[in-house]
Amino acid sequence: FPGLADVSISQDIPVEGEITVPVGSHSPDEDYSTLDEPVRDTIMRDLKAVGKKFVHVMYPRKSSALLRDWDLWGPLVLCVSLALMLQGGSADSKDDGGPQFAEVFVIIWFGAVVITLNSKLLGGTISFFQSLCVLGYCVLPLTVAMLVCRLVLLAGAGTISFIIRLIVVVAMFGWSTLASTAFLADSQPPNRKALVVYPIFLFYFVISWMILTFTPQ
Amino acid sequence: DEAGRGAGGMLGGQRGPPGPCALTGSPPQALVDDTEDVSLDFGSEEELALRKARIRHPLATFFHLFFRVSAIVTYLFCDWFSNSFVACFVTILLLLSFDFWSVKNVTGRLLVGLRWWNQIDEDGKSHWMFEAKRVPTIAASTEAEARIFWLGLIICPVIWTLFLFSTLFSLKLKWLALVIAGISLQAANLYGYTHCKLGGQKRISRVTSRLFGTGDVAQRQSRRISEDGTEEHGKTVPR
Repeated sequence: FPGLADVSISQDIPVEGEITVPVGSHSPDEDYSTLDEPVRDTIMRDLKAVGKKFVHVMYPRKSSALLRDWDLWGPLVLCVSLALMLQGGSADSKDDGGPQFAEVFVIIWFGAVVITLNSKLLGGTISFFQSLCVLGYCVLPLTVAMLVCRLVLLAGAGTISFIIRLIVVVAMFGWSTLASTAFLADSQPPNRKALVVYPIFLFYFVISWMILTFTPQ
Repeated sequence: DEAGRGAGGMLGGQRGPPGPCALTGSPPQALVDDTEDVSLDFGSEEELALRKARIRHPLATFFHLFFRVSAIVTYLFCDWFSNSFVACFVTILLLLSFDFWSVKNVTGRLLVGLRWWNQIDEDGKSHWMFEAKRVPTIAASTEAEARIFWLGLIICPVIWTLFLFSTLFSLKLKWLALVIAGISLQAANLYGYTHCKLGGQKRISRVTSRLFGTGDVAQRQSRRISEDGTEEHGKTVPR
Protein backbone atom coordinates (compact mmCIF):
# COMPACT_ATOMS: atom_id res chain seq x y z
CA PHE A 1 0.00 0.00 0.00
CA PRO A 2 2.14 2.83 -1.22
CA GLY A 3 -0.38 5.45 -0.16
CA LEU A 4 -0.05 4.54 3.45
CA ALA A 5 3.71 4.75 3.47
CA ASP A 6 3.81 8.36 4.56
CA VAL A 7 0.79 8.45 6.79
CA SER A 8 1.83 9.91 10.04
CA ILE A 9 -0.33 10.40 13.05
CA SER A 10 0.59 13.44 15.06
CA GLN A 11 1.45 12.71 18.58
CA ASP A 12 -0.47 15.55 20.07
CA ILE A 13 -4.05 14.55 19.42
CA PRO A 14 -6.18 16.71 21.70
CA VAL A 15 -8.18 14.86 24.25
CA GLU A 16 -11.85 15.69 24.07
CA GLY A 17 -13.91 16.53 27.04
CA GLU A 18 -13.47 18.48 30.20
CA ILE A 19 -11.70 17.42 33.26
CA THR A 20 -11.76 20.40 35.50
CA VAL A 21 -9.65 19.78 38.50
CA PRO A 22 -8.74 23.13 39.96
CA VAL A 23 -5.18 23.78 40.92
CA GLY A 24 -4.52 22.77 44.44
CA SER A 25 -7.23 20.20 44.63
CA HIS A 26 -5.97 17.77 47.21
CA SER A 27 -7.67 14.49 47.68
CA PRO A 28 -6.95 12.80 50.99
CA ASP A 29 -5.02 10.13 49.12
CA GLU A 30 -2.04 12.32 48.52
CA ASP A 31 0.76 12.30 51.00
CA TYR A 32 2.12 15.60 52.12
CA SER A 33 5.64 15.79 53.30
CA THR A 34 5.23 19.23 54.79
CA LEU A 35 2.22 20.87 56.31
CA ASP A 36 2.97 24.31 54.93
CA GLU A 37 2.86 23.67 51.25
CA PRO A 38 -0.71 22.45 50.84
CA VAL A 39 -2.13 24.82 53.43
CA ARG A 40 -0.55 27.74 51.66
CA ASP A 41 -2.07 26.52 48.42
CA THR A 42 -5.45 26.30 50.06
CA ILE A 43 -5.16 29.78 51.52
CA MET A 44 -3.98 31.32 48.27
CA ARG A 45 -6.72 29.70 46.30
CA ASP A 46 -9.38 30.97 48.67
CA LEU A 47 -7.89 34.45 48.75
CA LYS A 48 -7.80 34.59 44.98
CA ALA A 49 -11.42 33.48 44.80
CA VAL A 50 -12.43 36.25 47.21
CA GLY A 51 -10.46 38.85 45.23
CA LYS A 52 -11.99 37.75 41.98
CA LYS A 53 -15.46 38.17 43.41
CA PHE A 54 -14.73 41.69 44.57
CA VAL A 55 -13.68 42.55 41.04
CA HIS A 56 -16.86 40.98 39.70
CA VAL A 57 -18.95 43.19 41.96
CA MET A 58 -17.19 46.35 40.86
CA TYR A 59 -17.73 45.47 37.21
CA PRO A 60 -20.98 43.53 37.24
CA ARG A 61 -21.20 41.33 34.19
CA LYS A 62 -23.28 38.28 33.87
CA SER A 63 -20.78 35.71 34.97
CA SER A 64 -21.19 32.49 36.81
CA ALA A 65 -18.04 32.79 38.91
CA LEU A 66 -19.80 34.64 41.67
CA LEU A 67 -22.58 32.13 41.72
CA ARG A 68 -20.71 28.86 41.32
CA ASP A 69 -17.91 29.34 43.80
CA TRP A 70 -19.66 30.89 46.70
CA ASP A 71 -17.90 31.84 49.88
CA LEU A 72 -18.83 34.04 52.79
CA TRP A 73 -15.45 35.57 53.61
CA GLY A 74 -16.10 38.69 51.56
CA PRO A 75 -19.46 39.38 53.18
CA LEU A 76 -17.93 38.86 56.60
CA VAL A 77 -15.11 41.33 55.97
CA LEU A 78 -17.46 43.88 54.43
CA CYS A 79 -19.99 43.51 57.20
CA VAL A 80 -17.39 43.93 59.92
CA SER A 81 -15.78 46.96 58.28
CA LEU A 82 -19.12 48.61 57.61
CA ALA A 83 -20.22 48.00 61.18
CA LEU A 84 -16.92 49.35 62.50
CA MET A 85 -17.23 52.49 60.42
CA LEU A 86 -20.80 53.00 61.50
CA GLN A 87 -19.69 52.75 65.07
CA GLY A 88 -18.27 56.19 65.55
CA GLY A 89 -17.26 56.22 69.13
CA SER A 90 -16.97 53.87 72.06
CA ALA A 91 -19.59 51.23 71.79
CA ASP A 92 -21.08 51.42 75.22
CA SER A 93 -21.82 55.10 75.35
CA LYS A 94 -25.51 55.77 75.20
CA ASP A 95 -25.36 58.99 73.24
CA ASP A 96 -23.32 58.02 70.24
CA GLY A 97 -24.58 59.13 66.85
CA GLY A 98 -24.23 55.80 65.13
CA PRO A 99 -26.19 52.61 65.59
CA GLN A 100 -24.84 49.93 67.82
CA PHE A 101 -22.31 47.58 66.29
CA ALA A 102 -24.35 44.45 66.70
CA GLU A 103 -27.41 46.12 65.16
CA VAL A 104 -25.66 46.66 61.86
CA PHE A 105 -24.45 43.11 61.93
CA VAL A 106 -27.87 41.69 62.61
CA ILE A 107 -29.56 43.90 60.02
CA ILE A 108 -27.19 42.84 57.28
CA TRP A 109 -27.19 39.12 57.99
CA PHE A 110 -30.82 38.79 58.96
CA GLY A 111 -31.87 40.94 56.02
CA ALA A 112 -29.85 38.81 53.63
CA VAL A 113 -31.40 35.63 55.06
CA VAL A 114 -34.90 37.02 54.68
CA ILE A 115 -34.28 38.03 51.07
CA THR A 116 -32.92 34.59 50.32
CA LEU A 117 -35.94 32.92 51.88
CA ASN A 118 -38.19 35.20 49.90
CA SER A 119 -36.53 34.35 46.63
CA LYS A 120 -36.62 30.65 47.41
CA LEU A 121 -40.30 30.80 48.30
CA LEU A 122 -40.92 32.49 44.97
CA GLY A 123 -39.42 29.48 43.30
CA GLY A 124 -35.91 30.66 42.61
CA THR A 125 -33.28 28.17 41.53
CA ILE A 126 -30.40 29.73 43.34
CA SER A 127 -29.19 28.03 46.48
CA PHE A 128 -29.26 29.50 49.96
CA PHE A 129 -25.58 30.21 50.39
CA GLN A 130 -25.13 31.45 46.84
CA SER A 131 -27.73 34.10 47.46
CA LEU A 132 -26.14 35.11 50.76
CA CYS A 133 -22.81 35.31 48.99
CA VAL A 134 -24.10 37.61 46.25
CA LEU A 135 -25.98 39.89 48.62
CA GLY A 136 -22.99 40.12 50.92
CA TYR A 137 -20.49 40.90 48.20
CA CYS A 138 -22.75 43.56 46.71
CA VAL A 139 -22.48 45.52 49.95
CA LEU A 140 -19.04 46.55 48.69
CA PRO A 141 -20.15 49.77 46.92
CA LEU A 142 -21.98 50.85 50.06
CA THR A 143 -18.90 50.21 52.17
CA VAL A 144 -16.96 52.43 49.79
CA ALA A 145 -19.70 55.03 50.17
CA MET A 146 -19.37 54.82 53.94
CA LEU A 147 -15.64 55.38 53.69
CA VAL A 148 -16.16 58.41 51.47
CA CYS A 149 -18.82 59.77 53.83
CA ARG A 150 -16.53 59.50 56.81
CA LEU A 151 -13.77 61.30 54.97
CA VAL A 152 -16.18 64.02 53.89
CA LEU A 153 -17.43 64.36 57.46
CA LEU A 154 -13.89 64.89 58.64
CA ALA A 155 -13.85 68.02 56.56
CA GLY A 156 -17.09 69.37 57.95
CA ALA A 157 -20.76 68.67 58.53
CA GLY A 158 -22.51 71.44 56.62
CA THR A 159 -24.98 71.48 53.76
CA ILE A 160 -22.38 71.00 51.06
CA SER A 161 -20.99 67.93 52.75
CA PHE A 162 -24.53 66.58 53.06
CA ILE A 163 -25.15 67.08 49.35
CA ILE A 164 -21.90 65.34 48.47
CA ARG A 165 -22.71 62.47 50.78
CA LEU A 166 -26.22 62.22 49.37
CA ILE A 167 -24.95 61.98 45.82
CA VAL A 168 -22.31 59.41 46.71
CA VAL A 169 -24.68 57.26 48.73
CA VAL A 170 -27.41 57.32 46.09
CA ALA A 171 -24.91 56.39 43.38
CA MET A 172 -23.47 53.51 45.39
CA PHE A 173 -26.94 52.33 46.39
CA GLY A 174 -27.90 52.17 42.74
CA TRP A 175 -24.70 50.29 41.95
CA SER A 176 -25.28 47.73 44.71
CA THR A 177 -28.86 47.12 43.71
CA LEU A 178 -28.02 46.77 40.04
CA ALA A 179 -25.10 44.46 40.72
CA SER A 180 -27.06 42.13 42.94
CA THR A 181 -30.08 42.19 40.67
CA ALA A 182 -27.90 41.25 37.73
CA PHE A 183 -26.88 38.09 39.55
CA LEU A 184 -30.05 37.18 41.37
CA ALA A 185 -32.93 38.10 39.12
CA ASP A 186 -31.90 35.68 36.42
CA SER A 187 -32.70 32.73 38.58
CA GLN A 188 -36.36 33.73 38.65
CA PRO A 189 -39.14 33.29 36.10
CA PRO A 190 -39.72 36.54 34.18
CA ASN A 191 -43.02 37.57 35.72
CA ARG A 192 -41.56 37.39 39.20
CA LYS A 193 -38.50 39.49 38.79
CA ALA A 194 -40.03 42.55 40.42
CA LEU A 195 -41.11 40.49 43.40
CA VAL A 196 -37.52 39.46 43.93
CA VAL A 197 -35.96 42.83 43.24
CA TYR A 198 -37.98 44.92 45.66
CA PRO A 199 -36.70 43.27 48.89
CA ILE A 200 -33.15 43.73 47.61
CA PHE A 201 -34.00 47.35 46.95
CA LEU A 202 -35.34 47.68 50.47
CA PHE A 203 -32.34 45.96 52.00
CA TYR A 204 -29.80 48.24 50.39
CA PHE A 205 -32.04 51.20 51.05
CA VAL A 206 -31.95 50.55 54.79
CA ILE A 207 -28.18 50.25 54.73
CA SER A 208 -27.86 53.43 52.67
CA TRP A 209 -30.14 55.21 55.11
CA MET A 210 -27.93 54.15 58.01
CA ILE A 211 -24.91 55.44 56.13
CA LEU A 212 -26.47 58.73 55.13
CA THR A 213 -27.82 59.58 58.57
CA PHE A 214 -24.61 58.72 60.34
CA THR A 215 -23.21 61.59 62.37
CA PRO A 216 -20.04 61.04 64.32
CA GLN A 217 -19.49 62.25 67.86
CA ASP B 1 20.75 0.03 38.11
CA GLU B 2 23.84 -0.75 40.06
CA ALA B 3 22.56 1.42 42.84
CA GLY B 4 19.26 -0.38 42.76
CA ARG B 5 20.94 -3.67 43.09
CA GLY B 6 23.04 -2.34 45.85
CA ALA B 7 20.09 -0.87 47.69
CA GLY B 8 18.17 -4.03 47.31
CA GLY B 9 20.93 -5.58 49.27
CA MET B 10 20.60 -9.07 50.32
CA LEU B 11 17.01 -9.17 49.30
CA GLY B 12 18.05 -8.90 45.70
CA GLY B 13 20.52 -11.62 46.23
CA GLN B 14 17.80 -14.06 47.07
CA ARG B 15 16.30 -13.78 43.66
CA GLY B 16 19.54 -14.54 41.90
CA PRO B 17 20.91 -17.93 41.25
CA PRO B 18 21.30 -19.80 44.49
CA GLY B 19 24.98 -19.22 45.18
CA PRO B 20 26.53 -20.41 48.36
CA CYS B 21 23.34 -22.04 49.57
CA ALA B 22 23.27 -24.42 46.63
CA LEU B 23 26.84 -25.44 47.24
CA THR B 24 26.06 -26.73 50.68
CA GLY B 25 23.16 -28.58 49.23
CA SER B 26 20.93 -27.41 52.02
CA PRO B 27 17.19 -27.19 51.50
CA PRO B 28 15.29 -23.89 51.12
CA GLN B 29 15.52 -23.64 54.87
CA ALA B 30 18.88 -21.98 54.43
CA LEU B 31 17.24 -19.42 52.22
CA VAL B 32 14.71 -18.79 54.96
CA ASP B 33 17.52 -18.31 57.45
CA ASP B 34 19.15 -15.90 55.10
CA THR B 35 16.00 -13.87 54.69
CA GLU B 36 15.67 -13.58 58.44
CA ASP B 37 18.99 -11.84 58.56
CA VAL B 38 18.10 -9.46 55.82
CA SER B 39 17.61 -5.87 56.83
CA LEU B 40 14.71 -4.76 54.73
CA ASP B 41 14.80 -1.12 54.05
CA PHE B 42 11.24 0.13 54.22
CA GLY B 43 12.09 3.75 54.20
CA SER B 44 14.19 6.46 55.58
CA GLU B 45 14.75 7.26 59.18
CA GLU B 46 12.23 10.07 59.00
CA GLU B 47 9.47 7.78 57.92
CA LEU B 48 10.22 5.38 60.73
CA ALA B 49 10.06 8.20 63.22
CA LEU B 50 6.84 9.38 61.65
CA ARG B 51 5.38 5.96 61.99
CA LYS B 52 6.26 5.81 65.67
CA ALA B 53 5.16 9.30 66.62
CA ARG B 54 1.93 9.63 68.51
CA ILE B 55 1.16 12.92 66.87
CA ARG B 56 2.14 13.11 63.24
CA HIS B 57 0.72 16.54 62.49
CA PRO B 58 1.67 18.69 65.46
CA LEU B 59 0.93 21.97 63.72
CA ALA B 60 -2.50 20.88 62.56
CA THR B 61 -3.37 19.57 66.01
CA PHE B 62 -2.25 22.80 67.60
CA PHE B 63 -4.24 24.98 65.26
CA HIS B 64 -7.29 22.77 65.50
CA LEU B 65 -7.51 23.55 69.19
CA PHE B 66 -5.93 27.00 69.21
CA PHE B 67 -8.65 29.01 67.47
CA ARG B 68 -11.54 27.31 69.25
CA VAL B 69 -10.04 27.60 72.69
CA SER B 70 -8.91 31.19 72.16
CA ALA B 71 -12.40 32.15 71.06
CA ILE B 72 -13.87 30.64 74.22
CA VAL B 73 -11.21 32.15 76.46
CA THR B 74 -11.62 35.57 74.87
CA TYR B 75 -15.36 35.40 75.34
CA LEU B 76 -15.03 34.47 79.00
CA PHE B 77 -12.38 37.01 79.86
CA CYS B 78 -13.18 39.82 77.44
CA ASP B 79 -13.60 42.26 80.28
CA TRP B 80 -10.01 41.78 81.30
CA PHE B 81 -8.64 42.28 77.81
CA SER B 82 -10.41 45.40 76.75
CA ASN B 83 -13.26 47.69 77.65
CA SER B 84 -14.50 47.91 74.15
CA PHE B 85 -17.35 45.62 73.18
CA VAL B 86 -16.55 46.11 69.52
CA ALA B 87 -12.96 44.93 69.80
CA CYS B 88 -13.99 41.80 71.65
CA PHE B 89 -16.81 41.11 69.23
CA VAL B 90 -14.60 41.46 66.18
CA THR B 91 -11.77 39.44 67.72
CA ILE B 92 -14.00 36.56 68.71
CA LEU B 93 -15.78 36.61 65.37
CA LEU B 94 -12.49 36.50 63.48
CA LEU B 95 -11.23 33.67 65.69
CA LEU B 96 -14.41 31.72 65.08
CA SER B 97 -14.15 32.27 61.33
CA PHE B 98 -10.52 31.18 61.19
CA ASP B 99 -11.39 28.17 63.28
CA PHE B 100 -14.23 27.23 60.96
CA TRP B 101 -12.06 27.55 57.90
CA SER B 102 -9.08 25.71 59.31
CA VAL B 103 -11.09 22.84 60.74
CA LYS B 104 -13.08 22.45 57.56
CA ASN B 105 -10.23 22.73 55.11
CA VAL B 106 -7.08 21.64 56.86
CA THR B 107 -7.28 19.83 60.15
CA GLY B 108 -10.11 17.50 59.22
CA ARG B 109 -8.25 16.44 56.13
CA LEU B 110 -4.98 15.90 57.96
CA LEU B 111 -6.08 14.57 61.31
CA VAL B 112 -8.90 12.21 60.43
CA GLY B 113 -8.91 12.04 56.65
CA LEU B 114 -12.44 13.36 56.27
CA ARG B 115 -13.65 16.21 54.14
CA TRP B 116 -16.93 17.85 53.29
CA TRP B 117 -17.79 20.63 50.90
CA ASN B 118 -20.46 22.13 48.72
CA GLN B 119 -20.47 21.96 44.99
CA ILE B 120 -22.66 23.74 42.49
CA ASP B 121 -23.04 22.10 39.11
CA GLU B 122 -23.93 23.68 35.80
CA ASP B 123 -27.65 23.55 36.46
CA GLY B 124 -27.22 25.60 39.57
CA LYS B 125 -28.09 22.73 41.85
CA SER B 126 -26.07 22.54 44.98
CA HIS B 127 -24.66 19.26 46.21
CA TRP B 128 -23.12 18.62 49.57
CA MET B 129 -20.25 16.19 49.29
CA PHE B 130 -18.84 14.10 52.10
CA GLU B 131 -15.64 12.20 51.66
CA ALA B 132 -13.82 9.75 53.88
CA LYS B 133 -10.36 8.35 53.38
CA ARG B 134 -10.09 4.61 53.83
CA VAL B 135 -6.59 3.67 52.86
CA PRO B 136 -4.14 4.47 55.64
CA THR B 137 -1.01 6.07 54.39
CA ILE B 138 2.33 6.55 55.99
CA ALA B 139 1.41 9.98 57.23
CA ALA B 140 -2.09 8.99 58.25
CA SER B 141 -3.46 10.10 61.53
CA THR B 142 -2.95 8.33 64.80
CA GLU B 143 -5.35 7.43 67.54
CA ALA B 144 -4.25 10.35 69.67
CA GLU B 145 -4.82 12.86 66.89
CA ALA B 146 -8.23 11.47 66.05
CA ARG B 147 -9.22 11.59 69.68
CA ILE B 148 -8.07 15.21 70.02
CA PHE B 149 -9.92 16.11 66.84
CA TRP B 150 -13.24 14.64 67.89
CA LEU B 151 -13.04 15.90 71.46
CA GLY B 152 -12.31 19.41 70.25
CA LEU B 153 -15.07 19.17 67.69
CA ILE B 154 -17.71 18.03 70.16
CA ILE B 155 -16.88 19.89 73.33
CA CYS B 156 -16.69 23.41 71.91
CA PRO B 157 -20.21 23.62 70.46
CA VAL B 158 -21.49 22.33 73.79
CA ILE B 159 -19.66 25.14 75.56
CA TRP B 160 -21.07 27.71 73.16
CA THR B 161 -24.56 26.35 73.79
CA LEU B 162 -23.98 26.90 77.50
CA PHE B 163 -22.93 30.45 76.67
CA LEU B 164 -26.15 30.87 74.75
CA PHE B 165 -28.24 29.97 77.78
CA SER B 166 -26.19 32.15 80.08
CA THR B 167 -26.60 35.07 77.69
CA LEU B 168 -30.34 34.57 77.49
CA PHE B 169 -30.83 34.23 81.22
CA SER B 170 -28.55 37.06 82.21
CA LEU B 171 -30.11 39.22 79.47
CA LYS B 172 -26.81 40.35 78.05
CA LEU B 173 -28.41 40.36 74.68
CA LYS B 174 -25.74 42.29 72.84
CA TRP B 175 -23.63 39.13 72.91
CA LEU B 176 -26.45 37.04 71.52
CA ALA B 177 -25.52 37.58 67.89
CA LEU B 178 -21.97 36.48 68.55
CA VAL B 179 -22.96 33.39 70.49
CA ILE B 180 -25.41 32.35 67.81
CA ALA B 181 -22.73 32.84 65.16
CA GLY B 182 -20.34 30.75 67.23
CA ILE B 183 -22.81 27.94 67.68
CA SER B 184 -23.74 27.82 64.00
CA LEU B 185 -20.13 27.79 62.80
CA GLN B 186 -19.01 25.09 65.18
CA ALA B 187 -22.16 23.01 64.80
CA ALA B 188 -21.75 23.13 61.02
CA ASN B 189 -18.32 21.55 61.26
CA LEU B 190 -19.53 19.00 63.78
CA TYR B 191 -22.44 18.02 61.57
CA GLY B 192 -20.31 17.87 58.43
CA TYR B 193 -17.68 15.62 59.93
CA THR B 194 -20.18 13.40 61.69
CA HIS B 195 -21.89 12.91 58.38
CA CYS B 196 -18.57 12.02 56.76
CA LYS B 197 -17.81 9.55 59.49
CA LEU B 198 -21.18 7.91 59.62
CA GLY B 199 -21.48 7.90 55.87
CA GLY B 200 -19.22 4.89 55.83
CA GLN B 201 -22.00 2.80 57.23
CA LYS B 202 -24.53 2.12 54.51
CA ARG B 203 -27.47 1.70 56.83
CA ILE B 204 -27.09 5.06 58.45
CA SER B 205 -26.47 6.79 55.16
CA ARG B 206 -29.65 5.33 53.79
CA VAL B 207 -31.51 6.59 56.84
CA THR B 208 -30.18 10.11 56.47
CA SER B 209 -30.89 10.14 52.77
CA ARG B 210 -34.47 9.18 53.50
CA LEU B 211 -34.66 11.95 56.07
CA PHE B 212 -33.49 14.48 53.53
CA GLY B 213 -35.61 12.91 50.82
CA THR B 214 -32.93 12.85 48.18
CA GLY B 215 -33.13 9.32 46.96
CA ASP B 216 -30.67 6.55 47.51
CA VAL B 217 -27.11 7.23 48.33
CA ALA B 218 -24.50 5.96 45.93
CA GLN B 219 -21.47 4.72 47.77
CA ARG B 220 -18.75 4.42 45.23
CA GLN B 221 -15.50 2.59 45.09
CA SER B 222 -13.67 5.86 45.11
CA ARG B 223 -14.79 6.46 48.68
CA ARG B 224 -16.93 9.42 47.80
CA ILE B 225 -20.28 9.71 49.51
CA SER B 226 -22.76 12.31 48.39
CA GLU B 227 -26.21 13.26 49.55
CA ASP B 228 -28.07 12.64 46.34
CA GLY B 229 -27.78 9.88 43.84
CA THR B 230 -26.25 11.91 41.04
CA GLU B 231 -23.19 10.78 39.23
CA GLU B 232 -19.97 12.48 40.13
CA HIS B 233 -17.44 13.11 37.46
CA GLY B 234 -14.34 13.79 39.35
CA LYS B 235 -15.03 17.39 40.10
CA THR B 236 -13.31 18.04 43.32
CA VAL B 237 -13.58 21.59 44.45
CA PRO B 238 -12.61 21.61 48.07
CA ARG B 239 -13.33 24.80 49.85
